[in-house]
Amino acid sequence: MLFISPTCNGPGKEKVEMSTEVIFFIASLTAPEEIGATPQSMLWLLPLAAAVAVVYKATKLPKITAGSFLKETAALFGSIVLFVAVTALVLNAVAWLISG
Amino acid sequence: MTARTRENQILLLTFVALLSWFVPGAGYFWLKEKRRAIIVFATIAITFWLGIYIGSVGVIDPVAAKSWYAAQIINSPMVALLGRVAAGGNYPVYGKPHEIGQIYTSVSGLLNLLCIVNAVYLAHVQWAWQRKG
Repeated sequence: MLFISPTCNGPGKEKVEMSTEVIFFIASLTAPEEIGATPQSMLWLLPLAAAVAVVYKATKLPKITAGSFLKETAALFGSIVLFVAVTALVLNAVAWLISG
Repeated sequence: MTARTRENQILLLTFVALLSWFVPGAGYFWLKEKRRAIIVFATIAITFWLGIYIGSVGVIDPVAAKSWYAAQIINSPMVALLGRVAAGGNYPVYGKPHEIGQIYTSVSGLLNLLCIVNAVYLAHVQWAWQRKG
C-alpha cells in the first residue's frame, strides 16, 4: 500500500510539511468517485469529446490564433456530440423495434 | 541525400518522438510551436488526471488490463511508475468509475500518440525546408 507521510523529517534534511490540501488531493487519487450506472453518467462523455476536439484541432490548424482555434474546436465538439446523440437515438429505436 | 544527412534526420525525428512521449507537447515546444505545445500539454494532462481522479490509480493495471495499459503508457513513461504502485491490487475499482477512468486515461494516451506522430511530421517538414533554403 502506498503510504505518503504528511511530514518528512529524514536525517540531515530540513522538515518538509505537506499542506492538508495536497494530502487530500493525493488521497482522492487512491479511491474512486461514486458514479452510478444512471443515464446522467453518460454526461461524462462531454469532457472527453471536448479533449478530443481540442487536441485534434491543435494538431490540424496550420497557425493557432485564439479566435479561429475556439471556433474550429467548438464546431468539432458540436459535431461529435450531435453524431453521438443521433447514433444513440437510432440504436434506441432499433432496440425498441426488436424488443417490441 | 547522403547517408550522413539521412542519419541526422532519423536522429532528429527519433528525438522529437521521444521528447513528445516523455512530456506531452514537449516535441512541439522544441519545434518552437509554443501555443500548440501548451494546448496539447494542458489537455492531455487534464484528461489523464481526470481519469485517475474518477477511477483512482487502480485503473492503471499492467497485469489484468494489458491492452488498456498499452494505450495508457503512451501518455508518458511515468505511467509505468503509477502502474507499479497499482500493480499489487491495493486500489480495487469496479463499475462505472473503472470504465470511465480507463477510457479517459487510454484516450488521453491515444491523443498523445496523435501528437507524437504530428510532431514528427512537423519536424520532418521543418528539416526539409531548412535543407531547401
